Amino acid sequence: MSRIAFKYSSHPLRRWFIQQSLDFPWRTIIIALLATLFLGSGVRFFLIDDDMMKILPKNLDSRIAWDAIQEEFGSTEVIFIAFGEKGKSIFIPDALAALWDLNEELEDNHEVEELTSITTATRMDNVDGFMEIEDLQPFRNLSEEEVGEIQAYLDKNPTLKKRFVSQDSEYFMVTVQPYSSEGLNQFRDAVVSIADPILSKYEIYYGGQAYVTGTMPELIRDDVIGLARIGILIMVIILLLNLRSISGVAMVLMVIGLSLFAMIGFMGWVYHLTGSDRFLFTLANTSMPIILLTIANSDGVHVVSKFFKEMRKKDETRLAVASTMDSLLIPIFLTSITTIAAFATMTLSPLEPLFGYGIVIGAGIAWAWLLSSFMLPAVISLKKWNKGSKAITEPSIFEKIIDKLGKVVLTHPKYVFSSGAIFVIIGLSGLSKVIVDVNMRNFFEPGSEIRDTMDFMDEKMTGTVDIRVRIEGDMKDPQTLSSMRILQEKMEENEKVITSFSVANIVEQMHRTVMDDKPEFETVPSNREKVNNLFTMYSMSGDPDDFSSLIDYDYKVGLISAFSKVMTTKEIFAFVESMNEQVKANMNPNLIVDFTGMIVILRDLVIMIVRSSALSIIFSLIVIGIIASIFFKRILWGILAVIPLTSAVIINFGFMGYFGIELSHITAILSSIIIGVGVDFSIHYIAQFRRLSRTIDKNKLSRAVVEDVGYPIILDAGSNMGLGALLFSVFLPIQYIGGLMVFAMLATSIGTLTVLSALAELLKNRLVERNS
Amino acid sequence: MILQKCWLILFSTSIIFGQTGTEIAKMVDERKTPKDMSNVTKMVLKNSKGKTRTNLMVSKSMDGNKKQIIWFLEPKDDKGVAFLKIEYDNKDDEMRMWLPAFKKIRRISSKKKGDAFMGSDLSYEDMSSRDLQQNNYKRLDDKIINDKDCFVLQVTPTKEAESSYSKHISWIDKSSLLAVKEESFDKRGALKKKKEFSYNKIKEYYVMERVFVEDIQKNHTTEVIFEKIQVDMGVKANIFQEKNLKRLPAID
Repeated sequence: MSRIAFKYSSHPLRRWFIQQSLDFPWRTIIIALLATLFLGSGVRFFLIDDDMMKILPKNLDSRIAWDAIQEEFGSTEVIFIAFGEKGKSIFIPDALAALWDLNEELEDNHEVEELTSITTATRMDNVDGFMEIEDLQPFRNLSEEEVGEIQAYLDKNPTLKKRFVSQDSEYFMVTVQPYSSEGLNQFRDAVVSIADPILSKYEIYYGGQAYVTGTMPELIRDDVIGLARIGILIMVIILLLNLRSISGVAMVLMVIGLSLFAMIGFMGWVYHLTGSDRFLFTLANTSMPIILLTIANSDGVHVVSKFFKEMRKKDETRLAVASTMDSLLIPIFLTSITTIAAFATMTLSPLEPLFGYGIVIGAGIAWAWLLSSFMLPAVISLKKWNKGSKAITEPSIFEKIIDKLGKVVLTHPKYVFSSGAIFVIIGLSGLSKVIVDVNMRNFFEPGSEIRDTMDFMDEKMTGTVDIRVRIEGDMKDPQTLSSMRILQEKMEENEKVITSFSVANIVEQMHRTVMDDKPEFETVPSNREKVNNLFTMYSMSGDPDDFSSLIDYDYKVGLISAFSKVMTTKEIFAFVESMNEQVKANMNPNLIVDFTGMIVILRDLVIMIVRSSALSIIFSLIVIGIIASIFFKRILWGILAVIPLTSAVIINFGFMGYFGIELSHITAILSSIIIGVGVDFSIHYIAQFRRLSRTIDKNKLSRAVVEDVGYPIILDAGSNMGLGALLFSVFLPIQYIGGLMVFAMLATSIGTLTVLSALAELLKNRLVERNS
Repeated sequence: MILQKCWLILFSTSIIFGQTGTEIAKMVDERKTPKDMSNVTKMVLKNSKGKTRTNLMVSKSMDGNKKQIIWFLEPKDDKGVAFLKIEYDNKDDEMRMWLPAFKKIRRISSKKKGDAFMGSDLSYEDMSSRDLQQNNYKRLDDKIINDKDCFVLQVTPTKEAESSYSKHISWIDKSSLLAVKEESFDKRGALKKKKEFSYNKIKEYYVMERVFVEDIQKNHTTEVIFEKIQVDMGVKANIFQEKNLKRLPAID
């Protein structure tokens, strides 16, 4: 059939699109594949890295202080290795020999900057007037008596003991500091591969931020692969139920696969070209492939199912494709653009990964739209379809369900509307119950390795949540040192803070040693000269590098490090507030004091998550309202388009409040997803309302719209059930996203068919458009 | 100043060929050294981030540095701190410090040879003389360093030496028998320190005037410059007593 013979569309732009697919199918397919291949080739630059610190903007005070500490004192993200045996004392020669071996092996590893354990620690003694600084564990093989001496020394120095031994003396702990905070997954693997064989006789626990961060890439990768498999399986089932054609399913899967490949490659390219941490694949991004998979599926399935419907009428492939694309190009474009807009508002988030999330998923959605609009119809047009197949001749289960559902909704609109309204009211009352929490522990299920280790560290050791206080001032000034000690004591008054240490502790210990080991001199000396004398004396007999993690080279910056058990958000806020008050009340105002560490990071994250969620909701609703107003040429349509979405967001957050699902940097993306994906329903409804209003009497309009639009809406909602795959994630927040999204999709689709249709019905006199 | 014992080498100026490593080491060891020495020592430490610390000290020594007393002049915080060291052949060395702020003299431990002196890259071992009997010397291929034809010796400490190093490679100028460069390797065999030496002739002695040490593993350097060097001035043995730690000498 000649090209001229076809009038694919009355609109020139749509006609051009359709021409590319039908008149030049091979060219279109090859260009699409090559472009996807080029974009996807960025996958080699794609990097998984879930470092909590990289979530925060670089200009945030706590991040600035953190970065300064990393620069001055080396990485504070460490791995803790605890080993021992429950119920047995660890103070035995064999355990110290294993500790020695572990230190030797770890010291040989070029990724290890520093180790802290009994083996690397020094002891300071006053022996017959001698100031002796010696290794706490001088040899590998020790006698029972020598082990007893080490234990006695640690008992005399409880601050030191807490850093090396569990509270019940059943486990030893080694702290391993990496050279760099980059590539913690390799560091983690190296440490585990060294420690596991040496400590095979003992129970081993690994913990610390570096371990969690180092373990996350593998967990995330495995999780994403697992979720993608489940997601695709769900999609295939939905597609088979709906399309009943293996070729049709394969074509939709092709769009999904290519879109995913292009999106991951795009992320790699952007990371490569910008070097920005915003484009690292983090835990927060875990949901991204499934969401794109769902959206791409939605685009593809619309095209294929509409094509089958058209085939029933037209009985000719090219005509059916042309008709399909003529009616779907605009809705697919509109739903894509509004979804992209909703995700694009994530770029306003102060949280770094959410910026990248918004951009990258936007690119993925755009690619899915391009493939669905050009490549998919081209592929469909090349296939020789069996016109007698059930897929083409009979309506699908979906169509039958929708027919029945449509009748229910239309027969009992008041009940349906009332139910929706009740849900919204319930949701509203649940909003105040939403808890914001970003504790990593709560991201893992009980029984998982990381959660068990965190619990172990909390119960037996020092805890894993660190608090760092960077103090800039004269570190030889007794006032400075004393105020550091007071601050430490204040910190330790909190029952969850297990230990703290600083150079002030060392000065106290040196003072006592110089003063003939009299306990009453375990204080900061009274004048600067004395403090200086102590440091000088230490440098004559010990290694000043021993202080490198506590004080800088110039004695101008000191670091207080403290460790605490996991705190709730409320406890974190109260703790940081009380510390700030303490600094204001008792510390020399000439000192520059910066609080940071994971505890402050968590507080700042909480604040930002709340801000991020609020910004995301407000701006995405505004942007979508504006887009809908422009496309549908009425502000009223813009307002109506966002009403079901607002209801769904309220219900979602309300349910989070009721079910105790924490708002975190992972679940903060929910509102964008709900709005971005849910807006499609409103778009479909409004587009159909406007189209039918030109030809159907306004008294029969709403019924006609619901009957007609029900199919694409429920088809969309059905396709979006792929989000349910997230329920199978190993990360709890991702599971929550999965569950809430499934619910939100039902809420928005039903909301559109009820709330929106009821409002449209009420306002029909103002909304109806007539052809002149 | 203490450093000068190990590398301050003055020997015959004849060019020697065909010696074994041990013979070369013996010749180096048997060089003539001053009876006593005094100087002002400037020590500049620099860490991996380019931050520096500078110490200025007055030092007097005798018996090839077996007795040495040091008074700290700078930094200002350290002025008045003093250090006395007396080495013994058959017992632990004696090291004492005067802490003016405490008005106390404290003995400090001298057990660990590998400990750094004053936070520098020089350990007490680096600053002590090497016992010929406690090291094995192997002559390697000769090399030319800075236009100087050098013997190259591999020095391997024996177990008795209780060294913190596994070996040293020393470059010894053939014409003066002075060590001009040395590399020291840690127990694992990895390069730990690079050292460079330069000398000045005072009276009939070649006296070290500068040593530069780089700790490769810590990326930290130490430069020691000896100024106002005086030799054979008749320093008396009774100066190396505790009471003199409290008396900062006048600087010329």
